[in-house]
Amino acid sequence: MSRTYISRHPLDDLLPLEPGIRAVDHLDIPRSSAIVSVMAMDGEEASVTAGLAASGVVSIRFTGPGELLAVSQSETPESLHRNLSLLLAETAYIVDQSDGRVVFRLSGPNVRRLLAKGIATDLHPAMFEIGASSNVLCGHISVNLARTGENEFELIVMRSFAVALFDDLKVMGREFDLSAGFSVRV
Amino acid sequence: MTAYRLASGGLTDRSAPLDFRFDGRNLTGFSGDTLASALLANDQLLVGRSFKYHRPRGIVTAGPSEPNALVTIGKGADSDPNTKATVAELYSGLDARSQNRFPSLKYDIGALNGLLSPFLGAGFYYKTFMWPAAFWEKVYEPIIRKAAGLGRAVLERDPQAYEKCWAHCDLLVVGSGPTGLMAALTAGRAGLRVILADEDFRLGGSLLGETARIGDASAQDFAERGLAELRSLPNVTMMPRTTVFGWYDDNVFGAVERMQKHVALPQAKLPVERLWRIIAKRALLATGAEERPLVFGGNDKPGVMMAGAMRTYANRFGVAAGKSVAIFSNGSAGYRTAADLAAHGVDIAAIIDSRADGSDRAPDGVRVIRSASVIDTKGRQRVAGVVVERSGFEQTIACDAIGMSGGWNPIIHLACQRGAKAVWSEDLKTFLAPDVGNGLVVAGAAAGRYTLAGCLKDGAEKAAALVADLGFSAVSHTAPAVEGEIDPSFTALWYSPGAKAKAFVDFQNDVHVKDIGLALREGFGHVEHAKRYTTNGMATDQGKLSGINATGLLAAMQGISPADVGTTTFRPFYTPVAFGALAGTSRDEHAAPVRKSPLHGWAQRHGAVFVDSGLWFRPAYFSRGGEKTWRESTDREVRNVRENAGLCDVSTLGKIEIFGPDAAEFLNRLYCNPFLKLPVGKARYGLMLREDGMVYDDGTTSRLSHEHFVMTTTTALASGVMSHMEYCAQVHWPDLKVRFCSSTDQWAQMAIAGPKARLILQALVEDDISDAAFPFLAAGAVTLKGGLKARLFRISFSGELAYELAVPAGLGEAVADAIMEEGRAHGICAYGLEALNVLRIEKGHVTHAEFDGRVTPDDAGFGRMVSAQKPDFIGKRLSTRYGLTAADRMQMVGLKPVETDQHIRAGAHLLREGAKPSTLNDQGYVSSACFSPTLGHDIALAFLKSGRERYGERVVVWDKLAGAETVAEICNPVFVDPGNTKLNS
Amino acid sequence: MASLIHCPHCGVRPKEEFSIRGDASLVRPDPEASDEAWNDYVHIRSNPRGRYREHWQHGAGCRRWLVVERDTFTHEVFSVTDAAIVKREGSR
Ligand SMILES: [Zn+2]
Repeated sequence: MSRTYISRHPLDDLLPLEPGIRAVDHLDIPRSSAIVSVMAMDGEEASVTAGLAASGVVSIRFTGPGELLAVSQSETPESLHRNLSLLLAETAYIVDQSDGRVVFRLSGPNVRRLLAKGIATDLHPAMFEIGASSNVLCGHISVNLARTGENEFELIVMRSFAVALFDDLKVMGREFDLSAGFSVRV
Repeated sequence: MTAYRLASGGLTDRSAPLDFRFDGRNLTGFSGDTLASALLANDQLLVGRSFKYHRPRGIVTAGPSEPNALVTIGKGADSDPNTKATVAELYSGLDARSQNRFPSLKYDIGALNGLLSPFLGAGFYYKTFMWPAAFWEKVYEPIIRKAAGLGRAVLERDPQAYEKCWAHCDLLVVGSGPTGLMAALTAGRAGLRVILADEDFRLGGSLLGETARIGDASAQDFAERGLAELRSLPNVTMMPRTTVFGWYDDNVFGAVERMQKHVALPQAKLPVERLWRIIAKRALLATGAEERPLVFGGNDKPGVMMAGAMRTYANRFGVAAGKSVAIFSNGSAGYRTAADLAAHGVDIAAIIDSRADGSDRAPDGVRVIRSASVIDTKGRQRVAGVVVERSGFEQTIACDAIGMSGGWNPIIHLACQRGAKAVWSEDLKTFLAPDVGNGLVVAGAAAGRYTLAGCLKDGAEKAAALVADLGFSAVSHTAPAVEGEIDPSFTALWYSPGAKAKAFVDFQNDVHVKDIGLALREGFGHVEHAKRYTTNGMATDQGKLSGINATGLLAAMQGISPADVGTTTFRPFYTPVAFGALAGTSRDEHAAPVRKSPLHGWAQRHGAVFVDSGLWFRPAYFSRGGEKTWRESTDREVRNVRENAGLCDVSTLGKIEIFGPDAAEFLNRLYCNPFLKLPVGKARYGLMLREDGMVYDDGTTSRLSHEHFVMTTTTALASGVMSHMEYCAQVHWPDLKVRFCSSTDQWAQMAIAGPKARLILQALVEDDISDAAFPFLAAGAVTLKGGLKARLFRISFSGELAYELAVPAGLGEAVADAIMEEGRAHGICAYGLEALNVLRIEKGHVTHAEFDGRVTPDDAGFGRMVSAQKPDFIGKRLSTRYGLTAADRMQMVGLKPVETDQHIRAGAHLLREGAKPSTLNDQGYVSSACFSPTLGHDIALAFLKSGRERYGERVVVWDKLAGAETVAEICNPVFVDPGNTKLNS
Repeated sequence: MASLIHCPHCGVRPKEEFSIRGDASLVRPDPEASDEAWNDYVHIRSNPRGRYREHWQHGAGCRRWLVVERDTFTHEVFSVTDAAIVKREGSR
């Protein structure tokens, strides 16, 4: 018997499927993203980063020396894994993390203040520029933080911590009436 | 005779009256008042009782060093004990109660202690209550506890919210008085990121009560202009109501912001307090100076107040501390207060000057008595007069308040909190901050520059130096001229001689001069010993007023310099911080993050009862209708797995993907058993040792391709093993070509176990999973019908025919549902951790209950696994040492009770029959035990001396905790299917 | 309350992001080394006041093991270096 399996997002029971009212400060959660861990082989660190940047299809998130997350909202997990495995066959190891990571996007005038409640890193635009990314501790939870705009940040967290981080972000955002919802599907 | 609100003056908003309550009385103050200024305006001089003698005490200061005016604000769970009225911002509806009195503030039974005071000297408790020893706990301490104590800790749960925040700046300015204001302006104009923090609700510090003029403006207007400019600068953050309480490593400052302590009904979406950790490139301490009290007879009577506080109450709050005020001073500052009070129309009864040759000008018509000493005060619950001695002649001067001014102590706490000692200045007769490098600079009155002009200049100059130091260019600015100020110099006076009543040093802890003398005579003269012996400086004010005088007295009594006495140790917190603020949001479900498995929802739908397992929430068992206990559910689940099949969530096991040409070599060095020749498509059980030869963790590792392995670890040590592997790869063997990352969260992994496991699974899996095609320990990629890519492992923890199936986490629930649906006809059930535990004990499989850090592979029966051929692996060298190979080591065995209705519990110890329980007779211990539904009685895994030679013998299972002794038979630890026929079926 | 470590890969971070493993001057002996060498390596630790080299892992960040040279009394940090670099340079 052939089966189709429906994927679940860890916040499925906590968020309405359809987007509600957006406040100025908003937490936007894509229901699915294609994410892979890329681990450069010895000596190939620079060529991997250059190769990924040249491909133009992924956002690169720094996690550690020679290690990064490649994120795509347009590719499927399978296609991203396949394409990068081909592109970087001789230079890096690729591990699919699309189901193992959850993306949170924060935007709005107060998100820096919101994040300062959990993250010790200086998020002044001169210190953490647009395009910068790094693994940081947010409260008790390790996340990958990226600045995607002046007032836009993306947090990538391990799936098992997604509900806990969501709960924490809601508390951190209470003061700003932070709204939250799944991304509008395009 | 009375304190009162002046007809005009001050910065309170007289058009905004605020109603509040004190000890049940309805009173009125103004917006801009502190509770203390409002109490004074209502002539409520008596605000508390002292700690030991229950003496009546009044407001002494106008700030955070207040020793006496401690009140409880709020009701029930919402009440804050030991709140200083002198810093509590008045709000409408504030409800305050006095403390440490019974039955009322005015009539207090504890004051009897005062009559007993000859017996209650320093060290009294230590000496009197030493004997008999048993009396301490049962008799003395309860009595002391009842009588002593200030506010009561609240036992109810704090209903308010708190939070923590990080902040970053180039320059943190602590204090917004003249020095801090100029520093913040200088740095702010130069473009630095500046944080200006002040504990007061109104910024401006001493400028708010200053009468001197700055440039063309009043001090208040000058402050307002400066603050307005700072507010206009986007690079400057102003933080009123924020106490910077601590200076920590790497120039991190702790601060607490009181966000909603001044409102009757806090907004739910905001915390009442916010704890800040401020990472500052540089900090400038502009904390000002504390006026020093004078130690004279009767100096604790309500109505005796710091002269500077009287000035602040008059100038800033428009409140007079009395109608007729006497000033006792050893310097110019007393005259300044007298002048300001006189200008407000307050009668100055006299200025008593301890110096012979003061040249200060008293207000017109005010009598000055020089070379004089105050020896007593008159009045019962408040001052009615002051007794002055001069050249042997006594006189009593009527007054209703006494202002005392004993000189100045720079407030240097923060600078001394990281170990550097305060430095005595013979010039200034006070302790100054040590040089602590360029991270923290002290300026203004905090650096001993007491004039207003000096503060303005010092703040600007030191900030300009910091600006340059950080590579910015300063905008030049000249400090404005100051008109009409005095230089508050003084001549040190540690003790006003001839006291006819107790002369207090520490008001809050009731330490007086004689106590200090006693400490010295009895050998506790070291400043730290004297503090503990007398309790001077140990109260909630931490000696902010009393510390310097204790040092001065100890020095004077020994005829040495205060430099040789030193100060007690400065530690955070500068003022008390609520536990709630320190905890922030980290309470209840936010205390630690909960990790949820991708099968969490599936387990919930099947009636799972969850249990904490590290950070994870895991199903303990799945309760079905009619089952009343966990045992009923667990027994059913176990039987069903053995007879039919079960599905268990094992997603929480750590999963690590390992790549590289040296991946096999890396694993070979990590595990004690060989991995080089593990074939592709196979899983192998592996044991990791610690370097000392004990077992660290176990799990299976499968080879998915020549250079790609996937390892599983136990749930408990998933992060530990990852970190251990990173240590090995980065520190020991950085030249190995290996890369790895965790994929724990990527996969939903489920064990399908039981005789019908294959039948159920084959219906869903495209590939052939027959025993021939997919035998025990096979591992690899499979495709589920419909095309879903998955990983399948033929491994078994239960001893049954079993598989572990891993699918992308998001699909976990759907696949688990499909398996349950497919398995329904075959009687599948969900099983939890409890059943998993029983199944593995029955099979003699180990967990961290066995691998507790004291167990070698051989102890657990894995001796033959350890490779002798491998040149090296973690733990190899020390595995062979004598103690780890001794013949009488405790070895893992099985136990079953001889009387099958008796029980065995984990943690029990093993004794030979007839032996007394003693360490010497200890034969071993039970590591795991359970009821075996398969066998119908309890079984256990245990570690027993030379255990494997002793099958068939009997031991006593001695369980002191349960009060039980059970005779058990020693047996092979594999209770079920020792021949592995089920496993391999 | 806090202290900061400057990770060579991630920048300034609070100590909460790190875990400490202890003496970084120890080098794992050769498997054939003497009992004494192994005993020293596994069991013997000094607890000096003053300058000390420790292994810290940036667990919540880049997950690299670092050699942090610091003063155990003042917590002044003198240097932070990736442990693999230290090892490679040491073995040269
Ligand atoms: Zn790092």
